[in-house]
Amino acid sequence: MAVDTIPPLINAQLNYLRSNAPFSIKVEQMWSGCRNPSLIDRFTLAIPFCLDYIKWDVIYNAQNPLAAPDVIFGPEDEAFHPFRGMREESLSNSKKNCLLEWNYKDPACLLTLILQLRDLYMVYQKQRVGEVDDERLKFELGTIISKEGLEMYMSSGVEKPEEVRFAVPLLGMDINKIVIGSSWRQQQKIYLQVIFPVVGKFTNKPPVPRLKLVSTPDLRAVLSVEDVRLLPWSDGMCLAEYLPTLEELLASQIKDAVTLIELRRQFIVALAPFFGRPLEADSVFCRKASFLSVSGIFTFVVHFALTLQFPKQPPLLVLQSSQHFDLRGAAIKSSSLTEYPWSPRWDVSEMAERIFDFVADECLNFRKICNESVHQQQR
Amino acid sequence: MEASSGEYTLPPSTYSSEDIIFCIDTHNECLREMKAKGAEGQAFTRLDAIKQSILLFITSKLTINSDHRFAFCALGNSPFWLQKEFSNTPESALASFRKITPHSSSDQADLTQLFRAAAHEAKRSRAQNRILRLILIYCRSSVPPHHKWPATQKLFTLDAMYLHDKPGAENCPQKVYDALVDTIEEVSEYEGYVFESGEGLPRILFRNMCVLLSHPQQRCIQDDIDIPKSLPKKSAAVEITAGGENVPSSSQELSM
Repeated sequence: MAVDTIPPLINAQLNYLRSNAPFSIKVEQMWSGCRNPSLIDRFTLAIPFCLDYIKWDVIYNAQNPLAAPDVIFGPEDEAFHPFRGMREESLSNSKKNCLLEWNYKDPACLLTLILQLRDLYMVYQKQRVGEVDDERLKFELGTIISKEGLEMYMSSGVEKPEEVRFAVPLLGMDINKIVIGSSWRQQQKIYLQVIFPVVGKFTNKPPVPRLKLVSTPDLRAVLSVEDVRLLPWSDGMCLAEYLPTLEELLASQIKDAVTLIELRRQFIVALAPFFGRPLEADSVFCRKASFLSVSGIFTFVVHFALTLQFPKQPPLLVLQSSQHFDLRGAAIKSSSLTEYPWSPRWDVSEMAERIFDFVADECLNFRKICNESVHQQQR
Repeated sequence: MEASSGEYTLPPSTYSSEDIIFCIDTHNECLREMKAKGAEGQAFTRLDAIKQSILLFITSKLTINSDHRFAFCALGNSPFWLQKEFSNTPESALASFRKITPHSSSDQADLTQLFRAAAHEAKRSRAQNRILRLILIYCRSSVPPHHKWPATQKLFTLDAMYLHDKPGAENCPQKVYDALVDTIEEVSEYEGYVFESGEGLPRILFRNMCVLLSHPQQRCIQDDIDIPKSLPKKSAAVEITAGGENVPSSSQELSM
């Protein structure tokens, strides 16, 4: 049975793209387009765009791997013709047509091509949005068009109402620098997703846009933008007014998030006099710490997980035995323990002491459960 | 990097996920029996206890942080890979264990090749922003290990777990232990830990394996290890104070 393989030249291009793309491009499916079905030379890429993904098929030819690939765009984008009749100045990267200058020896070619096409796609979408006959939309667009990193998308089609989606980058600050010690490789960003229905005539009560805050995934270790309560969009509101207030709100949320990191850090440090030095503690976001405890001759690990709602929410505790194993040989764990005496108003030393008391009691229950579980296995 | 001593602090600093290589000594001394029986009353050897302790380590370590990874090799007459590719599943440990056939009776234990392999892996780990650790599980009571690894090359952390017979006229576990201590000092990048046990009690091995869960970049020096820390054993009415250990006092007033 032949194993599916990707021809080496094509594979080199794909690997380079995966390792070097400035944002996360996914390969959705791969298949063969040639007579030998085990030679994979076609795949679908899901490329982040405007807080969603655009899916393009990249078509190589395994029988001729030196040639540049073809790219097939989505069915909604039949009017997207990059490299055909586009003015030179609308190309934000190199003015060269990457397909005409395909250098099969350079593994970066595919990524360059995709990034170039994405830039052209942005220009194409900008044009589409600009052509929409909706006065209010034109007005809103005018107030945000110069924002660095703005992306927009015009969605239309059969059965679908016409809508324009904006991804507005918020806060010019470098969020990466705010969290000390973070090793984030990608630039963390927060966007406001704004979706305006297209209505045409200017009305006195233009429809309220749909609003959502979206952040890059790594930022979730520090701040959950989904939990930020957005300000309501009042009558007569517009982006020019809404955005600055929102950015002020976000800046203060970020400040609070950083303060909470420090509080979680203090809590973990306060546990050490009771539980000993942690086996491992998350020193950057202070979301986790694990300790090794013993009660009599029963040695076990205590895992602490701190949510972003700490100290309002108590830490989640899980105990893990060092002496009891399930049928697969894994060390037995307790369920998540959250019901114990707790007050967010205690200082961290008191919190630590109370949890210490709780664990001292609870570990006896846990040991019983472990013994029973092992006993059951032996039946 | 110096291991810290004194009061515990948690400064904001990056710490890396680990790539951990277990090196299991498959000298036939690993077939010595422990002071415990298996589930059906069968003999429980050092090797059985070692395998179980590795699973304990892996499942606990992954609960601490699922990004750590593991690989496996064995030290018979010379070191050999059981699984070279790092993975983070307990199943890969089980697959490696199945490849172990203890038969070595060598009176030599040269660790140079092992360290060379670890150093090579360490470079790859570092390229992925990870750190490499080698945990050597050693079973020979009469064969002190030796090596020719240059002292300037400290590319990975070395821990050792030593299971041995009781000292007697025919063996030299103390010499072996001392050799392990020296080796760690010479080779280890971060503070390495060494534990020994001649009692044959699995739970001691398991407890020590748990101490090895400590992340090398956050360790104190071995002399300062204060874990596992005792929890007070609560009985109905009376509090028990245990020596100099930290015991919480029960507070009479209601703090809200």
